[in-house]
This record gives sequence, C-alpha cells and structure tokens, in this order.
Amino acid sequence: MVNNLQFSLEAVWKVLLAGLVLGAGLPLIFALGVRSLAWGAGGDAEVHAGGSAGPKPQPVGTVIGWVLFAIVLAGIALGITFIVAGGLGKQLSFEHIFPTIVDKKH
Amino acid sequence: MTESTVILVLVIVTALGFDFTNGFHDTANAMATSIATGALRPKMAVALSGLLNLVGAFLSVEVALTVTNAVVNLQTSNGTPKESLTADGGVALLLIILAGLVGGIVWNLLTWLLGLPSSSSHALFGGLIGATVAGLGWAGVNWNGNGSKLDGVVGKVILPAFLSPVVAGIVAAAGTWLIYRAVVGAATKYTENGFRWGQIGSASLVSLAHGTNDAQKTMGVITLALLASGHWTSTSSIPFWVKVCCAVAISAGTYLGGWRIIRTLGKGLVEITSPQGMAAESASAAVILASSHLGFALSTTHVATGSILGSGVGKPGAQVRWRVAGRMVSAWLITLPAAGLVGAIMWYIGDALGGVAGAIAIFVILLAAAGYMYLRSRKEPVGHHNVNDEWDETTAPAERVPANTAG
Repeated sequence: MVNNLQFSLEAVWKVLLAGLVLGAGLPLIFALGVRSLAWGAGGDAEVHAGGSAGPKPQPVGTVIGWVLFAIVLAGIALGITFIVAGGLGKQLSFEHIFPTIVDKKH
Repeated sequence: MTESTVILVLVIVTALGFDFTNGFHDTANAMATSIATGALRPKMAVALSGLLNLVGAFLSVEVALTVTNAVVNLQTSNGTPKESLTADGGVALLLIILAGLVGGIVWNLLTWLLGLPSSSSHALFGGLIGATVAGLGWAGVNWNGNGSKLDGVVGKVILPAFLSPVVAGIVAAAGTWLIYRAVVGAATKYTENGFRWGQIGSASLVSLAHGTNDAQKTMGVITLALLASGHWTSTSSIPFWVKVCCAVAISAGTYLGGWRIIRTLGKGLVEITSPQGMAAESASAAVILASSHLGFALSTTHVATGSILGSGVGKPGAQVRWRVAGRMVSAWLITLPAAGLVGAIMWYIGDALGGVAGAIAIFVILLAAAGYMYLRSRKEPVGHHNVNDEWDETTAPAERVPANTAG
C-alpha cells in the first residue's frame, strides 16, 4: 500500500508534467496560431469598434500562424509515432534530443 | 465437443460482447465534446471514432497476455494459467473468466442505461475480482503487488482512479485558460472555425489511443481462455483471429455510439465551446499517452471526465454542473464492487449447477439482463437525433429511470 502510493506519486508528477507540456502547451501554440491568422486576416477577424473597417491585414501574421500550426502537427505526428512504436514493441527515445525509434527497454 | 470447448465458446462470445459494450461506453470519451460543439455531425463523429479504434486495435500488437495479473492470481508471470486451474480441461478457470465478464457487461449496460460514463476497465477488473474471490477465496486477488513496482488492485486500479481525473482536470483547466488568453482580441466568429479543426484532431488522437489501450484487454482475456483449455500454447503471441475479432467488436461498439453517455458528457457537465473541447481532448490524449508510457494504468473514462470538468473550471464564467459530476463520481466508486458482486453471484450460480449447465445458465442470465435493459432504454431513446438537446436537470435520462431498476 505504502509502496504503491509512493510509486503512484512518482508516476503522477511525470504524467502531470508531460500532460502540461503536450496537453496544454500544444493547444496554446495552436491558439496562438489561430490568433496570428486573425491578425494576418485583419478586418472582421479582429475585434474592432462597430462601423469601422477594422485593422489592416498583416501578411506576416498569416505566415507565423501556419508556422505555429506546423509545430503542432509535428507534435501530433510524434504522438502517433509514439502509439505505433509502442504497439510494435519499440519506443521513442529522446536520448539524442532528436526523437529516434529504438527497441523497447524492459 | 468436450465440456471445456463449449464453455470456451461461451467465454469468447461473452468477451467479444464485453469488448462491444466497452466500445459504445467509451465513444463519449473521445467524441462527446466534438458532437456537443457541432465540430462534427453526430453520425460522422462515431464513424471517425469507430474507424480510429479499429486502426488502434491493430496497432496494439504488444502482447497483453498478462492483463489479469494486475488484479488476480489466475496466471503465472509469463502468462500461462495456473496449473491448479487447468486440471479439468480448464473448466475452473473458464468459469471464473465467464462470470467475471458477465459482471463487467451487466454493470456497463446498467451505467449506460443511466447515462453514466463509468470505467469499462474497472467493470472488467471488478467482475474478474468478484468471480475470483468467489472461486478461489480472497487470497486469489492481487491487492498490492509485491511492493517492487506499481501493481495490484491498489496500484493499478484504485490509486489511478483518484489521481488520473485530477491530473487531466488540471491539464485541461490550464489549457483552457491559456487558449482564452491567447485569442484575446480576435473575433470569436473567426477563431471558432480553427478550434473546430483542433478539436477534431485531438479527439481523433483520443480515439486511436483508446483502440490501442482497451481492445488489448479483451484480447488478453480471450487468449488466457484459449491457453486454459489447451487451444493455444504460445505465451509470446496472440492468435490473429482474436485480434481481428476484438478490433471489429470494439469499433462496431464505438460506431453504435453510446448516445446516452455522449449526451451526459457533452451536454450535462459543462456547456462546452470549441476552445474548451480542444483543450479537454488534448489533455485527455496527452495524459493517456504519457501514462501508458510510464506504466501508470488508467481508465480513459476517468481521464475524459476530468478533462471536461477541467475545461469548465478553466474558462472564466463557465458553469459546471457539479451535481452531475457528483453522480458520476459515485458511479465510479461503486463500479468495482458492483461489477465484483455480479461476478461473484454469477460464479456461485455457475458452480452450483456445474460444468456446461452452469456456464449456459449464467450466459442466459446475461442475455436476459441485457435484453431487459435494452427494452428499458427504448422508453427514453437517446440517439444522434436528440443527443444535443438542451440539458434539463429534471428530464435528464438518468433522473427519469426509477431507482428500482438498479437492483
């Protein structure tokens, strides 16, 4: 019981940390991408006073937006690789920072 | 056919039945928020989720043979059944598995009827624990593991059930709060479309992860039954047809869609918006994947519910229906003992009648209970046509079912 509680707490903070980075971090990047696209589009995509035309479009916002989406997509691709690799008895290693697929440790 | 072959067939059919209920019970975990916000049409959502569960189930080639070892002592550590249980052609072991599966299915159907998202893995483990206690006594249950790693009923079932919804809730609340901060100044009409896509993507990941996690459990149980009756000998692989059957059963269940549960999760807890939906599903996906990587067993249902609650807490001014949440939590607390009780009763009935007659008897009881609950559900049908109707506490399906059906 005491051992299990200890093991759980050890696992839980890691899950929380990974969860915050991937589960809240990626959505934040995505939201910033959406925000950036709105900035890029200008006009009615931005909150502005009624009757006025709204801010001018900012093309750089569109570019930044899509770069941010690409980062999110890369994150998701990693997630899927993770599932597939796990199913095939492999695992992702971040030993060399760049993710590589290696045999599962037991 | 020998006695054990007949029982084996019943076990396989029942296990696939459980897998099917597992599918429709959990459609909501991935798709409730996307359906509630209108990001996906209801039919489209269940089709996508079903397909991804199918794919996910095939990806889970990792051998899940020792799945029951987490909670009961029916197998040795390499997956072969205990010799004392296979003496009579495996009948003793098969009866325990069959009774346990019936316990899991009955509880899954009852909570579905009440529209409550309870955990399918808790129902399965509960049923198996109950049947094992009845068949082998309390010593047959692996309560705490051997103290060297996270194991046993406490480590694999009870502690994660308390911790995982909290973790998921914190992640989803943080995500929701950050998302709303990030889009200040952009018109909601404009951002809505983007978040719908984010929601669909994150919900798809949850579906995929669900297929890999949950279909495996049934595959393990069926293979254990095959080992017990001597129809399979390898402990390092699972028969391919078992994989196919389980994958098809869970995805067919998912496609059927547990609309009653989808309604509770999507409309009952929080009036959810697209950014909240995306935050909730992302949190679920991240927590499920991180946990399975770290060997922290958890229930997708607990995670999904925690995430949706968290997304309600994280949005300033959002209303969370804590009464609905409270009802869910109480269902979680009794899932394990209730499924266990049904499993134990089924074992006693099966054992009293003995052999094939006993196995057929509990299978018939299962069919009768399932049929009855299906007929009850037709009185207040919930389907893709009314899943998104306004939530009204007094007319929620869970409220209208009289308490006497719970017996």
